[in-house]
Amino acid sequence: MLAGEAFRDAMRRRIVPVIAVVSLLSLVLVDGCTACGTPSVVQDGVPIELPTIAGWAALVIFGVLALWVIVLAGVLASDHLVEPLDDGSASLVLARPVGRSTFALTRLVGVLGITFVTGAVLLGGGVALLHGRHGVSLDPAIWAGCACALGAVAVAALSMTASLFLSRLATALAMLMAVGIVSGVNAIGLFGVELGGVSWGIDRFGPPLASAIVRALAPWIAPARVPADAFELAVRSVAWAVASVSLLVVVFRRRDIPS
Amino acid sequence: MNAIEFTGVSKWFGRRSALLEVSFALPRGSALGLLGPNGAGKTTALRLLLGFTAATEGSVRLRGLSPEDPESRIAVAYLPERLRLPQRMTVVSFLRMHGTLAGLPPHELIREVDTVLDITGLAGRARDRIGALSKGLMQRIGFAQAFLGRPEVLLLDEPTSGLDPIGVRDAREWIRRLRDGGCSVLMSSHVLSEVERVCDRIAIVNEGRIAASGSVDELIQPGETLEDAFVRVVRA
Repeated sequence: MLAGEAFRDAMRRRIVPVIAVVSLLSLVLVDGCTACGTPSVVQDGVPIELPTIAGWAALVIFGVLALWVIVLAGVLASDHLVEPLDDGSASLVLARPVGRSTFALTRLVGVLGITFVTGAVLLGGGVALLHGRHGVSLDPAIWAGCACALGAVAVAALSMTASLFLSRLATALAMLMAVGIVSGVNAIGLFGVELGGVSWGIDRFGPPLASAIVRALAPWIAPARVPADAFELAVRSVAWAVASVSLLVVVFRRRDIPS
Repeated sequence: MNAIEFTGVSKWFGRRSALLEVSFALPRGSALGLLGPNGAGKTTALRLLLGFTAATEGSVRLRGLSPEDPESRIAVAYLPERLRLPQRMTVVSFLRMHGTLAGLPPHELIREVDTVLDITGLAGRARDRIGALSKGLMQRIGFAQAFLGRPEVLLLDEPTSGLDPIGVRDAREWIRRLRDGGCSVLMSSHVLSEVERVCDRIAIVNEGRIAASGSVDELIQPGETLEDAFVRVVRA
């Protein structure tokens, strides 16, 4: 019931229509990009299609959309827990036999509900266009969607945790920077570039936000290979999602509730 | 078992002490008023009971349980001083949510919500958005959610704040009705007359300590009003 109210509360926020419009515009852009047809070259007067380029284009399109969904989760989470704390409406709920963990988790579920609906429309619509126009297979998109979902859980939970200490703007900026850095490092690592120092650590042990999505979509760019172990990326994605949510619960339990 | 127990409780916020070695108990079915100047520690005591903050030293028990345990808040109702309600919800949906959180089964929920709406004079405003209501009506909503599920313990922080004189009288009557029905009441207030009329015992809190406690007759010296006694104790 609290989760349902948290979802409805998230839906009532003014940013939601903006998200809906931006998402629809993104789909229109994808529609435009995928309407070009499979690229081809003419050799000795015979047109030869280049499905590989189409596969790379599909991977980039899907990957950008998936990262947008992850960023969306972080932005929505940046104030969805602190807003009822700061305005005092949380105190009446927490004065009931409701545990701190339950309250924090239901607020997280509210954010993820909107994120997953948006993701399903955006990624589902995108892959439908890609499949219909360029024949990319659907199974990799399903796995990439799962990777996106796990990334969204981790980013949302970490964003919510950060919001307990930072302002909303600082939280959103920190989250955007973190997602950008991690995704950038992942992308560089996937191209086989030798990373060192902190970058190596982020790519090796950090949340595989971009790596997991790209690895799942590897069949689209065959015969090119993605230099990453799918199982290891899956385990890391799950571990980061679980650890992030656990951190949120632990931190929130220790925080004073404002009067 | 007492409804509320504070045993040697101290609460520090950094270097500032909000409560210092406070001990008191609220027997079941009785009403205790916390009186004190601003910043005395009254609200801190209520927040400790609800688990909103943890005691630095000592032991706090609500219904015999630690406030960290959500079950300590079963059959407990709270009305904060700064009542903030979700502006986007309607009155009835807000009360149904709190009725469910209070443990009311679905088949009792609607009837119980209708009952508290009638009691608090909100029946005609049930479908209104909370954000469109006046402060006085919001305070009535605060009482309405507190009455749901027939609480065993009622924690009130400045309960008549924002109410007109009729609302103040109604609030006093509601609190008395609950107390007479066996509910234990802990009320923090600046309004001496309200505390005097509702509570069996009074504790005067000053600078984080209980400066005096007892029934009104025990606190007042010959020729004094409660206000005189309050000022005498606080200034001592």
